[in-house]
Amino acid sequence: MRKIIIGIIQFYQKWISPSFAPRCKYYPSCSSYAATAIENYGIKGVAMATWRLVRCNPWSHGGVDYVLIKEKVGTN
Amino acid sequence: MDTILNPLYFAVSWVIITIHDLLSPIFSADSGVSWSLSIIGLVIIIRIILIPLFVKQIKSQRALTALQPHMKEIQKKYKDDRQKQSEEMMKLYKEHKTNPLASCFPILAQAPIFFALFTVLNGIGRNPPVKRGVLTQEDVVSAAQAKFFGAPISDTFLGTDITTVKIVTVFLIAFMSATTFTTQRQLMVKGMPKMDSSNNMMLQQQKIMLYLFPVIFAISGVNFPIGVLIYWSTTNLWTWGQQYYVIKRNPTPGSPAYEELERKRKQKSGDVETPNSGSNETIQEPEIKGQRKQPKKKKKK
Repeated sequence: MRKIIIGIIQFYQKWISPSFAPRCKYYPSCSSYAATAIENYGIKGVAMATWRLVRCNPWSHGGVDYVLIKEKVGTN
Repeated sequence: MDTILNPLYFAVSWVIITIHDLLSPIFSADSGVSWSLSIIGLVIIIRIILIPLFVKQIKSQRALTALQPHMKEIQKKYKDDRQKQSEEMMKLYKEHKTNPLASCFPILAQAPIFFALFTVLNGIGRNPPVKRGVLTQEDVVSAAQAKFFGAPISDTFLGTDITTVKIVTVFLIAFMSATTFTTQRQLMVKGMPKMDSSNNMMLQQQKIMLYLFPVIFAISGVNFPIGVLIYWSTTNLWTWGQQYYVIKRNPTPGSPAYEELERKRKQKSGDVETPNSGSNETIQEPEIKGQRKQPKKKKKK
């Protein structure tokens, strides 16, 4: 299931997204954030991605916002 | 799902019916013109509501002029690392509480309305017609007969045998592809500050656009009622017009369009300075103009 969703996101990134002007306020973009989140958190990642998409609105200032990855948090 | 969308059905159908009633004395209640213009009116209202967002975005793009030196520095510093470059750029925007990017919101905000219109029109196209929102039985029957260039506005390409519907659908799909393509091209060629993005990448993007958009529009378009396609076409045309206006009258600092405007202003004020440009766009220009023998401007070799 995760692979299918990530596949769709990658398809979007490769074929659909390049044809629009860059528009995401965040780095990494919402789509790669979604892919990382879903890869690491599964269903919770979907919620995280949705929340990110909501935060990416005309009233936010954007910025750098990575997905917190469990392992990395642990080693720190 | 229907309970979430119900208020939207009401809103969409109310706007359409109000405009329709206003236009009825002019074009007659059952005429396709009144119904088609009602859908176009819906688009215009939504786009007018979205204008403040657009203005906000333009303003924050203008605020970038002040950041130009910082941006150049970042570009130089991370010349070979595009990822790092965009990361630092975003940090910079955030620091200065400005962000020139539009976010997905303007597109996502329109999606539910689009959906609601789709459902309302689909209901009209049913046999017998299903009324949704504030539409009365009389309205639905009238709307079911309304025609746009001879094609009933609630018919879909796949759901009909009428040739006119197919022709009108194909025409509208071609129109949508063309407007999307010109809008994006206009933005990339003239409207964006020159970044390090290579020409090659832009060409590839345009190629994708050229082939992919007609395909996307065709696949979805054959399932949509003519009325939805009218909505889509109008909103595309609006986007194009809005962008054209901004690029002509108030271009982003650093973009080729901005340099062009500056040059024109200088010429008007009588300042005869050799235009100083390095963009691909302006390099190509002299060649074309040379052939047409335009003696006015002296370009650098």
